[in-house]
Amino acid sequence: MESTTIYEKSFDTFPKLLIEQCKRSGANKLALRHKDRGIWKRFTWGQYYDYVKYFSLGMISLGLKRGDKVSILGENEPEWYWADLGIQAAGGIVVGIFTDCMPKEVQYYAAHSDSRFILAHDQEQVDKVIEIKDQLPLIEKVIYWDPKGLWSYTQPYLLNFYKVIELGKEYEKQHPGIFEENVSAGNGDDIALILYTSGTTGLPKGAMVSFNNILIVGRIINKIDPSFSTDNYVSAISPAWITEHNSIATHLMVGHPVSFPEDPETVQQDIRDIGPQIIFFAARQLEAMARIIQAKIVDAGFLKRFAYNLFLPVAYKKADTEIAGNKLNIFWKILYWLGDTIVFRNLRDKFGVLYARKAASGGAALSPDIIRFFRGVGINIRVGYGSSEGGVTSCGQLEGEIKLETAGRPYGLVEMRISEQGELLIRSPGVFKGYYKDEEATKKVVINGWYHTGDFCFIDGDGHVTIMGRMADVRKLSNNKTFSPDYAEIRLRFSPYLKDALVFGRETENYVTAIVNIDKETVGRWAEQKHIPYTTFTDLSQKPEVIKLVADELKKVNKALPEHARIKKFVSLNKEFDPDEAELTRTRKLRRSFVEQRFKEIIDAMYGDKTEIAVHSEITYRDGRKGIIETVMKINSIL
Amino acid sequence: MVEQPNKKLIVEKLFLNFGGVHALDDISLDIYDNEIVAIIGPNGAGKTCLLNCINGFYRPQSGSITFEGKQLVGLPRHKIASLGIGRTFQNIQLYTGLTAVENLMAARHIFYKNTFIEDAIFFGPTQKAEVKHREIVEDIIDFLDMETIRDRVVGALPYGQRKKVDMGRALALEPKILLLDEPMAGMNSEEKEDMARYILDTHELRRIPIVLIEHDMGVVMDIAQRVVVLDFGKKIADGTPDEIRCDVRVIEAYLGRDSGIPMKYK
Repeated sequence: MESTTIYEKSFDTFPKLLIEQCKRSGANKLALRHKDRGIWKRFTWGQYYDYVKYFSLGMISLGLKRGDKVSILGENEPEWYWADLGIQAAGGIVVGIFTDCMPKEVQYYAAHSDSRFILAHDQEQVDKVIEIKDQLPLIEKVIYWDPKGLWSYTQPYLLNFYKVIELGKEYEKQHPGIFEENVSAGNGDDIALILYTSGTTGLPKGAMVSFNNILIVGRIINKIDPSFSTDNYVSAISPAWITEHNSIATHLMVGHPVSFPEDPETVQQDIRDIGPQIIFFAARQLEAMARIIQAKIVDAGFLKRFAYNLFLPVAYKKADTEIAGNKLNIFWKILYWLGDTIVFRNLRDKFGVLYARKAASGGAALSPDIIRFFRGVGINIRVGYGSSEGGVTSCGQLEGEIKLETAGRPYGLVEMRISEQGELLIRSPGVFKGYYKDEEATKKVVINGWYHTGDFCFIDGDGHVTIMGRMADVRKLSNNKTFSPDYAEIRLRFSPYLKDALVFGRETENYVTAIVNIDKETVGRWAEQKHIPYTTFTDLSQKPEVIKLVADELKKVNKALPEHARIKKFVSLNKEFDPDEAELTRTRKLRRSFVEQRFKEIIDAMYGDKTEIAVHSEITYRDGRKGIIETVMKINSIL
Repeated sequence: MVEQPNKKLIVEKLFLNFGGVHALDDISLDIYDNEIVAIIGPNGAGKTCLLNCINGFYRPQSGSITFEGKQLVGLPRHKIASLGIGRTFQNIQLYTGLTAVENLMAARHIFYKNTFIEDAIFFGPTQKAEVKHREIVEDIIDFLDMETIRDRVVGALPYGQRKKVDMGRALALEPKILLLDEPMAGMNSEEKEDMARYILDTHELRRIPIVLIEHDMGVVMDIAQRVVVLDFGKKIADGTPDEIRCDVRVIEAYLGRDSGIPMKYK
């Protein structure tokens, strides 16, 4: 079969790639699938093309001009892709917003980006926009594509997505050929997206990303590590995140179909339906998956548990041997084959990754234990590193040269070096076009073409990059030794019982402390098995047995840490860290300085000699109301 | 002059006795097109009895219930259901061994018109009918956000989810009036909020009257356009939520006659 992969540099925008891919694959070939009403609905490249075209023209007839911004606030559905490409075809710029953002955040993004239109998925999202509409004078239309519950809304600025498609059809009658003209007027250096950085510090900034930022390195990666038109990909990470746009690029470049889940909550089942070859996991998802597997095994019947525990060492043996670059001998091969047939195959099937060839992870550092675990059970996770600013993928692990602690080597055309302070600098075609309306901030991070990542890194002799944590996070202790809290935190999160942790040290003290979040599910189940009664999360978190459990987990991790960086005292927090309270970013990264500030009282107490601390913590409910919880937390020492 | 809305369901002089207990004592009630009516009252006031009389579980000793001009008293239950009276139950009545979607499909049985032979062969008319019904059921699943529990066995579902399936089952009957018996009992506040939205959306989408029994006064006052109060089998009040809120008899029924409530409420 002839390859449909488009490598030519002349197709330098997403819409151009779409038109070309539609020609190469043929209008009748499957391009998108969407599970709706329990059935996988199919869209061909031809239909895809039409939706994009008419949406684009519809937006033009509503007044969209080249360079205008349009915010999209929706779950992964075909409409997101159509709108994305349609807006870009008209020369517009897409602003991706996470669907779990609070109205206040949506308002900030839409206002700061000067959006003229907002696409809001459904009633939930439309309600958010209506709430803040008065503060957004620039917004002309709010376009939704799921009309459920919106039947009696009378706001004049509301418009159905499919109405826009109709407008586009009308518009085409008067202006035939205009869509193709618009697309060819596009240029690889045009801004395609503005994505607001998760901002672990300060206000979010809008990173402007051009088509070339994604496509140039994308082509190279696809040459080293190709995807094929026969591959399947399930779109499950938010398009408000740059990573998904890398997947869109590959999809258009290679011509493989994309499948959209029915509902964010059915993703697991939908992935299993499709059995994708290409899959992307956020680091947090993998951590959660590992926790689920371990918890389920504890719950499983005797036989299953026995088989799992019997073969797990074999899995680790395989992972370690392969990572070391060796091959298993025949004895281990047979053992692994047995383990695979009895346990691992079924495990992979349960998670829908039986056919996964490319399983990538990113978004945050991943504990080596997690990689060993997944590679052992046959899911060949590979870690990549990238950002909106420095290029969506700058380096990544390649099969055959996996080094556990590292995020692989830089891809071709990507240059990396380490500054004197230990900061990772990147120069590549992927380096972004600057922050929207914030030249000051841009100048701070891009100096002479080198993007300053703010990541504290280490590059080994083979060019493999190890991300140690954020520069701003690296702390010095009173004994003049430095440590990276991140490094300890990701290892803590491998524990099935711990969901999050803040590891802390300060210059005036000589030891390290931690605030940990227990995992409600697994610890809850553990408590039930041990017949430990509890009421709420707060109660559970302070149970002496749970404290002991946490202490044991910390001890395990402490062994892997250098002497001076070991955790001496900890508090099991009475609540979970939550993005709604700005403790985590929307991609679930810890907003360290904020959290440190917020829990200063607790941290101070850990450096005193108290054994307990009473705190009032403010919580924000989903609907924006605030409440106060008052609890006493124990301060625990690890001996 | 404002157009008088149609009376959809008329209950007249209904009496229901269990031995010496007057469960329903001279109840008369009209339900109009396209309204949400809440029936409230203390425990044992006869709320569920009234619904049971409407859909034929109980046969009243005297009185009449007419729905779109048809007399319901004396009709068998399945006839009443096929006239378009859908209801949910306080203590959920579902096939616990079947999945959510199967429960909803089972509710469609009143619309199956195929013969036994056709059904035995399945292909042809039965298959077509099955697809058609499945589409309708899937719309309901989408409507009630039941995608995640579609293929889960109902017996294994948590209570709030089962309530949803129960509501879905009632909707699958394509009712012309919907009777909900404590749709929010035992739910947490988030589930309650969702259920309230489904009730309002159903009302908006299907334009049918909805009668609900509910104990959560917050919900009742928020979503009902009219509130009917029963006490010891008698109707003691009927009016808008605001009228009911300050009705002396209602306060007495709920709090007792000499409850020491401030004079301004008396």
